[in-house]
Amino acid sequence: MDLPRLHFQLNNRLPLGICVLNAEYQVLYWNDFFSDRTGQSLAAIQGQNLLEMFPAQSRYLKKKIDSVLVLNNASFSYWEHQPHVFPFSSSRPITGEETLMYQNIEFLPIESEDSSVHNVCLVVQDVTELASYFQAEQLLSAKLEQEGAELKALNEKLSMAQSQLLQSEKMAAIGQLAAGVAHEINNPIGFISSNLQTLQDYATRLLKLTEFYEKVVSKTGNDAYLAMQRDMQQRLQFGFVRQDLPDLLKESIDGIDRVSEIVKNLKAFSHVDNAQWQPADLVDGLENTLKIAANQLKYKVEIHRDYAEDLPQVYCQPNQINQVFLNLLVNAAQAMEHKGHLYLRAWQQNKDVCIEVRDTGPGISSEHMKRLFEPFFTTKPVGSGTGLGLSLSYSIVKKHHGEIQIHSTPGEGASFVVILPITGPEKTADLPGSEQLIS
Amino acid sequence: MSTLLSELQRDALQELMNISMGQAANALARLIEAKITLSIPKIVMVSAYEFQQMFVTDQYWFTRQSFLGSVKGEVLTLLARAGTEAIGELMDYVLPLDDRSRKELLLELANILAGACLNGFSSQLALHAKLSMPTIFQPDTRQAESFRWSSTLLLEVEFQLEGTAFDSRIVICLEGGSVEVLIGKLNELLED
Ligand SMILES: Nc1ncnc2c1ncn2[C@@H]1O[C@H](COP(=O)(O)OP(=O)(O)OP(=O)(O)O)[C@@H](O)[C@H]1O
Ligand SMILES: [Mg+2]
Repeated sequence: MDLPRLHFQLNNRLPLGICVLNAEYQVLYWNDFFSDRTGQSLAAIQGQNLLEMFPAQSRYLKKKIDSVLVLNNASFSYWEHQPHVFPFSSSRPITGEETLMYQNIEFLPIESEDSSVHNVCLVVQDVTELASYFQAEQLLSAKLEQEGAELKALNEKLSMAQSQLLQSEKMAAIGQLAAGVAHEINNPIGFISSNLQTLQDYATRLLKLTEFYEKVVSKTGNDAYLAMQRDMQQRLQFGFVRQDLPDLLKESIDGIDRVSEIVKNLKAFSHVDNAQWQPADLVDGLENTLKIAANQLKYKVEIHRDYAEDLPQVYCQPNQINQVFLNLLVNAAQAMEHKGHLYLRAWQQNKDVCIEVRDTGPGISSEHMKRLFEPFFTTKPVGSGTGLGLSLSYSIVKKHHGEIQIHSTPGEGASFVVILPITGPEKTADLPGSEQLIS
Repeated sequence: MSTLLSELQRDALQELMNISMGQAANALARLIEAKITLSIPKIVMVSAYEFQQMFVTDQYWFTRQSFLGSVKGEVLTLLARAGTEAIGELMDYVLPLDDRSRKELLLELANILAGACLNGFSSQLALHAKLSMPTIFQPDTRQAESFRWSSTLLLEVEFQLEGTAFDSRIVICLEGGSVEVLIGKLNELLED
């Protein structure tokens, strides 16, 4: 077999670029891989300086080649770090996404007879396929990672929502229990109360009748009758009964009145009665709520009002919205330990009415800002804040298809803007509390 | 201590290593124009556990590359995480190093060091072995059991770049069969 011929053929058939240089970087040999891609035959470039032929990469090539010459040790170039040392176009010119060939290059020392290195052989491997596969995979894994992170965030949100739901479920359960109890108690209280009234009336009459009999007996002047009467009254301690009876009845009636007041409050708490959807004037609501919160605000806070005129009524659950206002007003009052200003503003913005409650308190730091609506998030000392105020307000406003916007510059104060659509949520029919509207 | 090598063989090997490493260090120093000190090469047998412990550190990056020839095995290079910038500057890299250029630097460095060691070692013993491309080695992704461990001989040498925090350990691991080849060559030398 003709070995040199075989070597020569192999050199040109292998899917590898082979280029041999001497210590002056002059090309001694390159195979068809190089000539096919540069369009320059070996004969045309033999003896030319490789660094000058590829000036863009000459510094890098020189470094690598020098290292081989000095150390007599192979050196490598990776597509990950230096993807396109030789500006060869992609091996997939038609279907490939990439336009340049990705290359791994080995720089090998070629030993001469006396084993001192003079020549360097470059072996270029086309790894475009591998590189694009690898890159696609990396993209994919980055995407997966991102999706994973999103999923995690979603999970956290979910568990948060779940605990919030649990809380509101608890509240709803308490509400339902309260409503049930209130309803059960309401009937007996009703007849106890009216019976007591009647009893009071009857007792008054009985006492009057007794008085009348006493008068009749004394009119007879009969000592025996009079003595018998006195005797009997004494034995029954009638003097005390007569005195105590009206008091007892009055106390009982007062008591039952108080009980029915409590029942009424229970019903209110369970929102059985106050979830009604109706058009309402938000400024009126704000002002009424302000009266309730007044004792928290009275001395230390100066109130400034700026209400737009002719604001339309907003279709909402007024009591719930007032609850939101109350939370905001109380928060503002609690934020301003010392003297401060409370700015109340109302205006219309397209199809919404906006109510702003702004204070000149310490404001809210950005890391707290993110958590304000979290249930149980509070910076107030144990026992003084439950951290539910804003979370409840948020869910009420959400139910109205509105939003709460918060702006705060720490040190200067905080502003809470409640934005509610004038027409209310589009479909109130499936909202809780709407049965009142229908009935 | 090694039970595979006699004291005499070990001393001879150590002496050979010493000479070849010195040459390697010189060549490297010439290339990057900086002073390099190196430790006396150690020839040790370690247990699988000890071997594995080598990689339980966050002080070093690791690379590995295999070699093939009359002796076979792998070269593992431990490169200090501290001081890579300094050596990057010497080696003409653009600073500050980003993730990609740091990897490139590590691989180039490992290749130079490992190549120098292996060359010196094999030329002294008239053996031949060709190194493949180094790759970054992340040992924590591997289990100790997956190390093919029988009678592996470790030749270890430390390089230090003067004036920097950079240092590096080269560990040449010989496969079981290659140890016998090595012993044969050593005996030839000792008989002369
Ligand atoms: N106007 C404000 N200025 C500064 N911080 C505020 C203001 N409003 C609310 N915050 C902050 O938001 C936190 C949460 O408020 P939220 O109303 O939900 O709960 P709370 O007021 O702490 O307790 P609760 O309202 O249940 O009594 C408060 O603890 C406070 O740190
Ligand atoms: Mg509050």
